[in-house]
Amino acid sequence: MLRVSAMTTETDVDLQGVNGDAASAAKGIEYGAELMSFAESLAQRDDQALASARMTLQRVAGDRVMVDAAGVAANFQRMVRIADSIGIPFDNMQSDFVNSIQAELGLTRFASAQHSLVDG
Amino acid sequence: MNYFDYSEFEIEIREDLPATYAAYWTQLAKPGNWWTGAQRVAIAEETRNALTCAFCAERKQALTPYGIAGEHDHAGVLPERVVDAVHRIITDQNRITQALVDDNAANGLSKAAYVELVGIAVTVFSIDEFHRAMGLPVETLPEPVAGEPSRYMPPTLVSDMGFVPTIPAEGATANEADLWQPGFAHNVVRALSLVPDAVRDWHKVAGAQYLSLPGMQNMVQDENRSINRMQMELIAGRVSSVNECFY
Repeated sequence: MLRVSAMTTETDVDLQGVNGDAASAAKGIEYGAELMSFAESLAQRDDQALASARMTLQRVAGDRVMVDAAGVAANFQRMVRIADSIGIPFDNMQSDFVNSIQAELGLTRFASAQHSLVDG
Repeated sequence: MNYFDYSEFEIEIREDLPATYAAYWTQLAKPGNWWTGAQRVAIAEETRNALTCAFCAERKQALTPYGIAGEHDHAGVLPERVVDAVHRIITDQNRITQALVDDNAANGLSKAAYVELVGIAVTVFSIDEFHRAMGLPVETLPEPVAGEPSRYMPPTLVSDMGFVPTIPAEGATANEADLWQPGFAHNVVRALSLVPDAVRDWHKVAGAQYLSLPGMQNMVQDENRSINRMQMELIAGRVSSVNECFY
């Protein structure tokens, strides 16, 4: 979806931000590095890093951005657990576009890829 | 009790978030399709216990989660098998298998009850995670409401994906007409449809935390959000990656 939204707005982004590279996250995305660190520290359950990331994000981007970022991060803490607890496959495994992104990010290294690679 | 009152918090939080959370808390306390109100609140409590469970921490480090025995740290309200399911969903979700869900179903935890349990666990967890992200303490769980589960089962189900039956994409009709536009539903929307109310909860909470289903079609920026879609998807992607979620 990051690639699709970037294409829609004709923005040059680097998907490696998804894998935790701060410079990549900042490319084409306002507050990208700070948003990435905030999301990462939440998902990693690193409370010290989370406190630091929260403070940084609030300082550079403001309260409203922090609230909306917290909402999205919390939402995807739920979504990943729905997907894996039910074992659903990815919707469009036949798409070359989708496959190229999965390859670029190395997503098949994840155990849950089996739900899509077997069923898809 | 007035749940999710952020009025004293130093940061202004848009009103739809506490309103949605409070509405979910009201639903959580009531009997569901397959669990009583007391059981639903107990499932919610186990999502929190999972985070400090010593056995979960040990199992998470094991090469395989199925070769290690032990007992969970839990409140003692729910059967061990149910506790195990909740704790896995929170702490080790990407190693849940079809065999585990089938074994649970053969030993008293039906697939429908499992789906409702998943819905409760992930929704409570995500609301708690919002609080943790903001530096807020978690909300007190609601007092259960007495009553019996409805045992409602959707009439049209298929077993074409995942570990449990779901409503097919074209099957959102009649009682389920509000779940999605018939003929088109991403797998993650269909995932919990064995328990339609779990999908409804999914819509409501996702609509406040992220985007509504129609809003997801807007790849630029929702007018009610301060971050654009690229910023949202960067956050979503990083959270998914840390959780090692392929989907």
